[in-house]
Amino acid sequence: MAAKPGAAQDFEPLRQLFKPHIESFDYMVEAGLDTMFEHIKSVEVYDPSTTKKNLLWLTNPELYPPNKERLSRTISEPLLPFECRQAKISYSGKLCADVCFQYDGGAIIREKFNFGAFPIMLQSKLCHLRGADPKKLVSYKEEASEMGGYFILNGLERVVRLLILPKRNYPMSTVRSSFSERGEGYSDKAVLIRCVRADQTSVSVKLYYLRNGSARLGFWIKGREYLLPVGIVLKALVDTTDHEIYVNLTCCYNEKCEKGKGVVGTQLVGERAKIILDEVRDLSLFTRLQCLEYIGEHFQPIMDGLESNSYPFVAETVMKNYIFVHLDNNFDKFNLLIFMLQKLFSLIDQTSVPDNPDSLQNQEVLLPGHLITIYLKEKLEEWLQKGIKLIQDEISDDSKKFDFCSLAHVKKVMEKNPARQISSAVENMLKTGRLATQTGLDMQQRAGYTVMAERLNFLRFLSHFRAVHRGASFAGLRTTTVRKLLPDSWGFLCPVHTPDGEPCGLLNHMTSICKVTSFFDAQGNIKDYFKIKMSVLKILVEVGMMPSLPKLVRAGPPVVLTVFIDGCIVGSVPSGQVEKVVAHLRRLKVSSAAVIPDDMEVGYIPLSMGGAYPGLYLFTSPSRFVRPVRNISIPSDGNENIELIGPFEQGFMEIRCSDGGDGGRKSGFPATHEEIHPTGMLSVVASLTPWSDHNQSPRNMYQCQMAKQTMAFSSQAIKNRADQKLYHLQTPQTPIVRTSAYTKYSIDEFPTGTNAIVAVLAYTGYDMEDAMILNKSSVERGMFHGQIYQTETIDLNDQGRKSDRTSKMFRRSNLDKTVSSFLDSDGLPYVGQLIKPEEPYCSVYNEVTNSTYTCKRRGSEPVYVDYVSVDVKNKKQLQKVNIRFRHPRNPVIGDKFSSRHGQKGVCSQLWPDIDMPFSGTTGMRPDLIINPHAFPSRMTIAMLLESVAAKGGSLRGEFVDATPFRSSVKKDSGESGSKSDSLVDELGLLLKEKGFNYHGVEVLYSGVYGTELTCEIFIGPVYYQRLRHMVSDKFQVRSTGTIDQVTRQPIKGRKRGGGIRFGEMERDSLLAHGAAYLLHDRLHTCSDHHIADVCSLCGSLLTTTFQQPQRRPVREIGGLPPGKALKKVFCHACKTSRGMETVAMPYVFRYLAAELAAMNIKMTLQLSNGAGA
Amino acid sequence: MDPQPEPVSYICGDCGMENTLKPGDVIQCRECGYRILYKKRTRRSKFCYL
Repeated sequence: MAAKPGAAQDFEPLRQLFKPHIESFDYMVEAGLDTMFEHIKSVEVYDPSTTKKNLLWLTNPELYPPNKERLSRTISEPLLPFECRQAKISYSGKLCADVCFQYDGGAIIREKFNFGAFPIMLQSKLCHLRGADPKKLVSYKEEASEMGGYFILNGLERVVRLLILPKRNYPMSTVRSSFSERGEGYSDKAVLIRCVRADQTSVSVKLYYLRNGSARLGFWIKGREYLLPVGIVLKALVDTTDHEIYVNLTCCYNEKCEKGKGVVGTQLVGERAKIILDEVRDLSLFTRLQCLEYIGEHFQPIMDGLESNSYPFVAETVMKNYIFVHLDNNFDKFNLLIFMLQKLFSLIDQTSVPDNPDSLQNQEVLLPGHLITIYLKEKLEEWLQKGIKLIQDEISDDSKKFDFCSLAHVKKVMEKNPARQISSAVENMLKTGRLATQTGLDMQQRAGYTVMAERLNFLRFLSHFRAVHRGASFAGLRTTTVRKLLPDSWGFLCPVHTPDGEPCGLLNHMTSICKVTSFFDAQGNIKDYFKIKMSVLKILVEVGMMPSLPKLVRAGPPVVLTVFIDGCIVGSVPSGQVEKVVAHLRRLKVSSAAVIPDDMEVGYIPLSMGGAYPGLYLFTSPSRFVRPVRNISIPSDGNENIELIGPFEQGFMEIRCSDGGDGGRKSGFPATHEEIHPTGMLSVVASLTPWSDHNQSPRNMYQCQMAKQTMAFSSQAIKNRADQKLYHLQTPQTPIVRTSAYTKYSIDEFPTGTNAIVAVLAYTGYDMEDAMILNKSSVERGMFHGQIYQTETIDLNDQGRKSDRTSKMFRRSNLDKTVSSFLDSDGLPYVGQLIKPEEPYCSVYNEVTNSTYTCKRRGSEPVYVDYVSVDVKNKKQLQKVNIRFRHPRNPVIGDKFSSRHGQKGVCSQLWPDIDMPFSGTTGMRPDLIINPHAFPSRMTIAMLLESVAAKGGSLRGEFVDATPFRSSVKKDSGESGSKSDSLVDELGLLLKEKGFNYHGVEVLYSGVYGTELTCEIFIGPVYYQRLRHMVSDKFQVRSTGTIDQVTRQPIKGRKRGGGIRFGEMERDSLLAHGAAYLLHDRLHTCSDHHIADVCSLCGSLLTTTFQQPQRRPVREIGGLPPGKALKKVFCHACKTSRGMETVAMPYVFRYLAAELAAMNIKMTLQLSNGAGA
Repeated sequence: MDPQPEPVSYICGDCGMENTLKPGDVIQCRECGYRILYKKRTRRSKFCYL
């Protein structure tokens, strides 16, 4: 067991799993907002009448912890997450910021604006739960292990999905057929780079190759792509000469090494450089100024607010805001563009391969804090723009008295566009997961950014935070390339834990050891990237890097390798020395004293024959995946040599498994790193499967799915929760056979099943086809008992029209005595009471109309009232109630169960205990019987191992460790001697010691006949889970009932009492059987049977009308019963009733005729008698 | 005209004090001022055959 009872539990490993979410939000709160505000451009309003200018910008953002709105303004009480869930409100704090006004460069005036209630992430720095120990958390009515990382919006918990994005600041060579559709002469090859600013907003730039040898730089402004010849951009960036550009471009080509290892340049590069330069000359642009003017002239209409500026200024702004935005120096941009051209040409000449955009090597992750920051930035910019537009409208409107110089007036106009909308826009984005944006924010998708954090069980809840989605746009793709499991994701994404079916391979889960880099270093301080860059640079120069000074022409590979730091070229290292440099950097990374951050990625792509483009790429940026491995080139006895590596560098590293072998490695490539433990490749959920290395791999995948659908012990704070639906297992147990991950992540807090004694035999035939027999007495003793809690929230403020909101209240009617047995005098049900369907559970009294109405239970089963909680929002009156109902869900026939090995089954019988087989020696009866046929084809050997191990474990009274890949871990010297090699041997001996059969079988006697069964039966405890799919929620019956109004056919849907469709395939089977009468009965008589009047003269179905026959008054006077009046049907078209016939037909046929008539198509029926028409 | 409805007992969500409220009363714990109250569990026998 992890902790002794009473001792405070440490949930640190669990907390690590939620870190990426919380850290990114923390950074946003601490520094991200300030950085983002600095990047929001100031706007200017000009008043022509007074010729005054007003400069507006935003500063000083302040975000406050969530507080209650109280009548007394002085004391603010903290708003706790529990209260938000209970009251169905959002957990949000106030966001304020200053708007600065400056008239004509005069004094700066600050005005504070309230930007509304901003959603706060739980367990972030602004959350009240932060830093609370388990005891304190319980006092806050949370779980002892509350991890946070999500938002509470209208009482619902939502998580921001981690999405895969292209790796930032890394030029990627790509081949895509859509590139050639850009225009005439475009090839399908390009180098693209996603540049990310300090405030996390990004701009992608593409460098297309033209078939004539030139290239175009493409970038997006306001949803349109603009393409510029590279030559112009090169010249516009820095003052340079044609010769310089030529030399820079061709430096990667060296005549001496024609076709050697790592050669990327060919002699064609020189030709292309000439074409690029010729293109510029043809436009008669020679100097930098000319190029700037050319760009400025073309971009001035697009750039807002620069109408009055000079062309060069506009061009500079374009390059600053849209081209390589991660760099602020034009020389750096020039160098990067040259590098990208060289990489592009090498791609064309096939001296390097394109980078795979589906590989994790070229990907990073979108974190919640970053997403919110960039969305907030756009909303603030929009708000500022709209604000100045309102001021400008006010200025141009002469009729109004608007004083431009009066700040009060300006502020009043700006308030027309409420600042509070900003926060509600962010809240809406989190609520719906939808980005409402014009620019698209350089994202591939608009919707699906957030998901509900379901607390069906803890594993499902946890998986929401570890899930990484590839992006909604890939879900529609027909190709399977994006879904493939690539070796690049080894150790970062779990190969087992992905759903099968539609999102297979698109929705992955991070491994348990995988982390995401953040802005915080190990000590919790915000990293200073400038300082890091400088210190890395210093170290690099020390070990022999030649720094790239402006206009210094370098040679290219294979002589030297270019060195990047976060997408900025800083120099070059001779290729002979680079391995030494890499090893040095790694050593510094690991040592705690060094200034180099421990999560820096040293992406060294070595020289190769037409492989990936070589270089030394260093990354220090946030939101990269990293994982720990042991650096064995650094001697250490403890954990001082644990290095964090990323997916980019991993592909070029030599990492061996920790089993002591060499992994088939040649002596030329000695291993430099070693895995810490083989289970590091598995996600948390996957690593809970005992001995998963003994199972067939798809079974482990099924188990990952089923673990997340298990009805488990959902919450320890269950009495404080008001979830819409909550599944709860009444009598959970801790598994006897468990992996090390089980204890590490304290899954005992939320156990998911029961140790059931499972006998594997074919008994009674009720265990065929994955059915299973449950012992009735075991169930009656409480095995797998459970319930569903369902909360009904009634808010009188939300209902109905505004006028009668205030007049409504909860009250029982005094007139109607029948409801008093169901309802208390406050109009609410008694707690603990049983309510049957159609019985009232709540009564609302309307004071104005003096009427009462009652809410009635829907559904098909009786429920218990679990609790009734009342609370008030603002008014003193009782307006809001949460009523929680409890649906008992004890096992019945048809409920679904599974072991932890992807072996699911349905309960087919609750067999009486006395008729169950019993053991000859112990007299034990199994809880559960499964069929032996479940094993041969599925090969879930681990389930058999579990059974034997759990039997041994329970005999000895200890838990059994079932961590997978035990044989692949170096054994400690003492241990290896005592134990035998085979796991089966080890487990069998445990049984033998206690006098049981070595193989786990026992002699059983038939419960019915009392005779010994002919075979010995394999029996032992297996941890079984109860899945949430239960018949009580699914069964569907109907004889007759509601029908569709239009077609008169039975409706579908279980909730509405509909039927199950008798479809085409079912029809075919009846046809094949020749069951014509049954078919007619199902499809016609029991469906939309209809007798129609058809006019045989005109053949029309629609022109017939039924005429009410004239009543004969004579009969009525006589007091005789009215005789059956003759139905008189009349055809409108033929003006007669002569040819009337009645025809039986489906009612939809008549509907079809009417629909066709609406489209001006006449349908004519030709009637005939019997056969031979 | 209407007979005065009988008061209903609630338990405070914070301090656990029992509060007896009549319709129209302020929904707030008398002890600590907490505003989330839970209805008290009722004995079945009392209301079953009413």
